[in-house]
Amino acid sequence: MAESTIVLVLFGTFFLLLVLGAPITVSLGVSALLSFIYLEENPIKLVQIAFTSVGSFPLMALPAFILAGALMEAAGISRRLVNLAESFAGPFTGGMSAATVLACMFFGAISGSGPATTAAVGMLMIPAMVKRGYDRGYAAAVTASSGGLGIIIPPSIPMVIFGISAIGLTVPPEAIEKYGSFQTVSISTLFIAGFMPALVISISLLIMNYLRCKKAGYKGTSDGWSLGHIGGAFKKGFWSVLAPLVILGGIYTGFFTPTESAIVAIFYTLMVGWFIHKELKWKDLVHSLETTTWLSGRVLLILFTATVFGRVLVENEIPDSIATSMLSLTDNVYLIWTMIIGFLLFVGMFMETLAAIMILTPVLLPVTYSLGIDPIHFGVVLICCLSIGFATPPLGENLFVASGISDTPLEDITAKALPFAAISVVGVFIIAFVPEISLWLPRLLAG
Amino acid sequence: MTKTGLVLKVIDNLESYICRALLALFVLLLFAQIVSRELFQQSLSWSEELAVYMFVWFVFFGASYAAKLSAHNRVTFHFKWLPEKVAVTMEALADLIWIAFNCYFVYLSYDFIFNKMNLFWKSQTLGVPMKYIYLILPIAFSLMTIRIIQVNYFKLVKGIDIRDPESLELDELIGDDHLADTQNNKK
Repeated sequence: MAESTIVLVLFGTFFLLLVLGAPITVSLGVSALLSFIYLEENPIKLVQIAFTSVGSFPLMALPAFILAGALMEAAGISRRLVNLAESFAGPFTGGMSAATVLACMFFGAISGSGPATTAAVGMLMIPAMVKRGYDRGYAAAVTASSGGLGIIIPPSIPMVIFGISAIGLTVPPEAIEKYGSFQTVSISTLFIAGFMPALVISISLLIMNYLRCKKAGYKGTSDGWSLGHIGGAFKKGFWSVLAPLVILGGIYTGFFTPTESAIVAIFYTLMVGWFIHKELKWKDLVHSLETTTWLSGRVLLILFTATVFGRVLVENEIPDSIATSMLSLTDNVYLIWTMIIGFLLFVGMFMETLAAIMILTPVLLPVTYSLGIDPIHFGVVLICCLSIGFATPPLGENLFVASGISDTPLEDITAKALPFAAISVVGVFIIAFVPEISLWLPRLLAG
Repeated sequence: MTKTGLVLKVIDNLESYICRALLALFVLLLFAQIVSRELFQQSLSWSEELAVYMFVWFVFFGASYAAKLSAHNRVTFHFKWLPEKVAVTMEALADLIWIAFNCYFVYLSYDFIFNKMNLFWKSQTLGVPMKYIYLILPIAFSLMTIRIIQVNYFKLVKGIDIRDPESLELDELIGDDHLADTQNNKK
């Protein structure tokens, strides 16, 4: 009985404040504080959590990757990568929009954010597609839908946040007893694990794109591949192509931690931007620092209150009762995945991605542990699901960005983006049902 | 610019200046650590701890700066179905709750630092009393409260709506496009 009242206090206050229009961080903090008071626990714990939740070395990867991404934009690295992808368009049906998906993949390898990927790629590719006779709304829809790849392809800011939230949670002893020990969560492992699932989603997007372009009759150029064009774009973009290799190579070989590789990326970008491309201005540097400041401050304040919220959940064994009630419905792991994916897609439609990860990880990760699901595999599926939410109404940040850039009404893009969202969902189910897609590469690299 | 104007500008952007400096410093410090480890095979013992503490200060000052830009995410898509007055009142009420939470947290952290904390507790490698490092909590949450009041003063009294930087950037994108289109039409 006491358990159900605490659920009411915690979630009731949380949703009430959200509806009232309070910031997510305040809704989490106040509802957790009220639960502390209700349970007659000492709220002084909040002070320690405020400090310990934020003061961790792996978490410094977050501002470092945000800063690296902002600098790469200013240093002209992003633009050259997109140009390189564009040169691959060639004679295919739907080649230009396939190149857009490719550009989002390249860009995802240096940036960890969905809307940023959509904006950077869309600015160059949407006009290019329109020039080749593609429908404006379709061009914007392709960009918005593949922008979500930015958070699945490492480095990924949501993966940093999932890693941090998951590291703080202990594995329930009953689960270890039943399924043996689980692998420990690390941000490096997540970065490696995200690679193959990102390919699965990309391929499903490319298939859908081919089918729709064939129907619409978007043909490629008749002069075939232009090797000179590709060569030229590659030569100009040489230092830009090296950037993702520096970031991922360092992490995949285990040479750098994610935080260190982001720091190296920052200095690499500064060198390239100042001495090779000569595009980076002092003003851009200051602006990048400023953007990183408010973005990190906003996200990490949520991390503090979400940690307190998660603590209340776990201490009251709320995830356990969710797991028990799910298992009483069915013990078929595929059905359980279906329920989890459905729930995540629903949340992804309404809530900001990073906040959703911080709130859902302490609720769902203990559940998946007690079902014997690998935590890395769960993290990848979680992030794939939420990435689809970038391109679905009513809160699809990528749709807003794409609508802004292409100057087309939101409704038009939304309708044309839905088939892409549908095929991505199919991709997510494949990733969830076949754990090896996520787990094979990390095992291979671990030796 | 007059002297008072300059002082006002510095006060208005205080957190931003501090954060930029802290961010640049800890990024440099971590880079120096990597260089000294890889090139000189010498790892610095104190740099990681110092960087983490600078990072914590950066985060909480940054949170206050985000409050000044009114950049903290809210769920607002349902507001468009409500009359504007209701929406404004609801948000003001929500901010009032936010202020109350912050005040209570300032009290808690002040109480923790000066009454509850072990005064001899020092950081592991630097040996700085943790008391000083924890001071960021009451400082930043007090500043944040002032910033929330500032934003609401502009919104409710002066009628200037401070919008979060993301939607401003989006507006800029749309604006640029319209500009480009009209230029194209002229040709």
